[in-house]
Amino acid sequence: MNRTRPGVAQYVLLTVLALAFLYPIWWAISSSFKPAAEIISSPLSIGALTLDNYRAMFADVPIGTGFANTALVLAVKGAMTMFFCPLAGYAFAKYTFPGKNALFGVVMLTLMLPTLVLIIPLLLEMSALGWVNTYQALILPGSIDAFSIFWMRQTIAAIPDELIDAGRVDGAGEFGIFAKVVLPVIRPGLAALAVLTTMNVYNDFVWPVVAVNDTSHQTLQVVLATLAQNITGNRIGADFATVWGELLAAGSIAMLPLLVIFVLLQRHFINGILAGSVKG
Amino acid sequence: MRSARLSPYLFVAPFFVVFAAFGVYPLIYALQLSFMRWRGAGAAHWVGADNYLYLLTSPEFWSSLGNSAIMWLLIVPIQVVAGLGGAVLLANARLRLRGLYRVAFIAPFVTPLVAMAQVWIVVFDEDYGLVNYLFNLVGLPDVGWLTTTLWSKPTLALLFLWKTTGFAIIILLAGLQAVPGAVYEAAALDGASRWRQFWSITVPLVRRSMAFLVVVQTLAVFQMFAEPFVTTEGGPYGSTTTAGLYLYEHIAASDLGTGAANSFLLVLLVFGLSLGAVRLLRPKDEVS
Repeated sequence: MNRTRPGVAQYVLLTVLALAFLYPIWWAISSSFKPAAEIISSPLSIGALTLDNYRAMFADVPIGTGFANTALVLAVKGAMTMFFCPLAGYAFAKYTFPGKNALFGVVMLTLMLPTLVLIIPLLLEMSALGWVNTYQALILPGSIDAFSIFWMRQTIAAIPDELIDAGRVDGAGEFGIFAKVVLPVIRPGLAALAVLTTMNVYNDFVWPVVAVNDTSHQTLQVVLATLAQNITGNRIGADFATVWGELLAAGSIAMLPLLVIFVLLQRHFINGILAGSVKG
Repeated sequence: MRSARLSPYLFVAPFFVVFAAFGVYPLIYALQLSFMRWRGAGAAHWVGADNYLYLLTSPEFWSSLGNSAIMWLLIVPIQVVAGLGGAVLLANARLRLRGLYRVAFIAPFVTPLVAMAQVWIVVFDEDYGLVNYLFNLVGLPDVGWLTTTLWSKPTLALLFLWKTTGFAIIILLAGLQAVPGAVYEAAALDGASRWRQFWSITVPLVRRSMAFLVVVQTLAVFQMFAEPFVTTEGGPYGSTTTAGLYLYEHIAASDLGTGAANSFLLVLLVFGLSLGAVRLLRPKDEVS
């Protein structure tokens, strides 16, 4: 890493860039509190603030249902990831057993499978099972993913074998060692895994939009997309400003949870993002 | 100990159960279906390679690949350069506020894509959008950002770039920070200019991170779906119908046999592209 003192120009450039990255988020959130007509007539200034856009949005859009569905999917899918992926990672990191390399090879191979390719095959399977518009369709596919197993294997491999052997000497069972010795040691890795999983599930869109089409099962992202499509579809005639106000209110409220988690748990977020590049 | 021999199999079993049920099985089923004509209901019948031939001779299929290829050109080279620039700016041990800058660059990556695509609809609207408002302030005419074939792709590429360049910066920054400062000091003592240091030390050392970035983003660009789905629905005149969105159109049209065939053609293409990128960017002296 370079150790020369950074110049003023570097700070100016970085600050301008940082503001440019943040501006769209700031503009969307601040505009969502403006009277709808002003979003169009004076997009740069901020005068009187109002909650009207939020009131209209809550009346028109089933965003509560969206949040509830996303929370449910996140809770179950997250729990499965947080339990089964470290467990499998532990087996691959600390055991020798016949067929281990072949099995791990399969895990690595599935890493290369583009998500999009599975969409139509999965949709066909769901309709054969009668699972279209169900929670299990949203939750089960991809609930134990190869990347998280790979990552947890790397994390657990760094634990000294002596620690695990000590647990064995103390008479702990195989699962007991995982639960009482391995999990507590990899807590930072688990935190990063939790944050990354939350982001991925919360923002997931392609599969939910295909797997679910009735409003009662739509996740938050699908609810948002439906709102946007209604707007672009009915461009002419609709009261434009009001609709935009609702759109920005819905978008802002959807951004909020992850932005808050991100600001609070930055380090885990960045570790999670970086974990991916290790395999490069 | 019997349980010690069995337990690793039990520990990895859940993954393989889920993968068999929601990976292997649907893929085999879809492979079979890609050779059949089936419209989501009624009887399916064998049509041989017709679905594949139909796609390979269909202008829409090639146009969807062409759109994705143009998107790739608009996104990946710019992102590698911008990401490297951002990483170099941040990779200074004596830089203050580094944490704050990092937060600012990654914040877009954390926002939901669908929500930001909505913001793009509003900001880039031809008649009432913020960007044209600013254009008018300085005397420039309105531009149809999302409604003309000339601008629709760059406008969506900008959304992708805005959202993921922070990710690129973080990945490349991690590569840069692995370079010991002493290497630069030695080079400076030898009289190497800053520019020379950048090309001779920095670029070769982040090659691995760069290869990773290019592969990941190539996959992402060819699977791009939510951006056009939310903002343009593939228009105007199909100019934003990406490979990902075209795949979805088979579902919307209940033409699942063709959709399955399209999936497999896309997977071959994406594999080929990632392999090519890895080959191209692999350091020449690398053994492993």
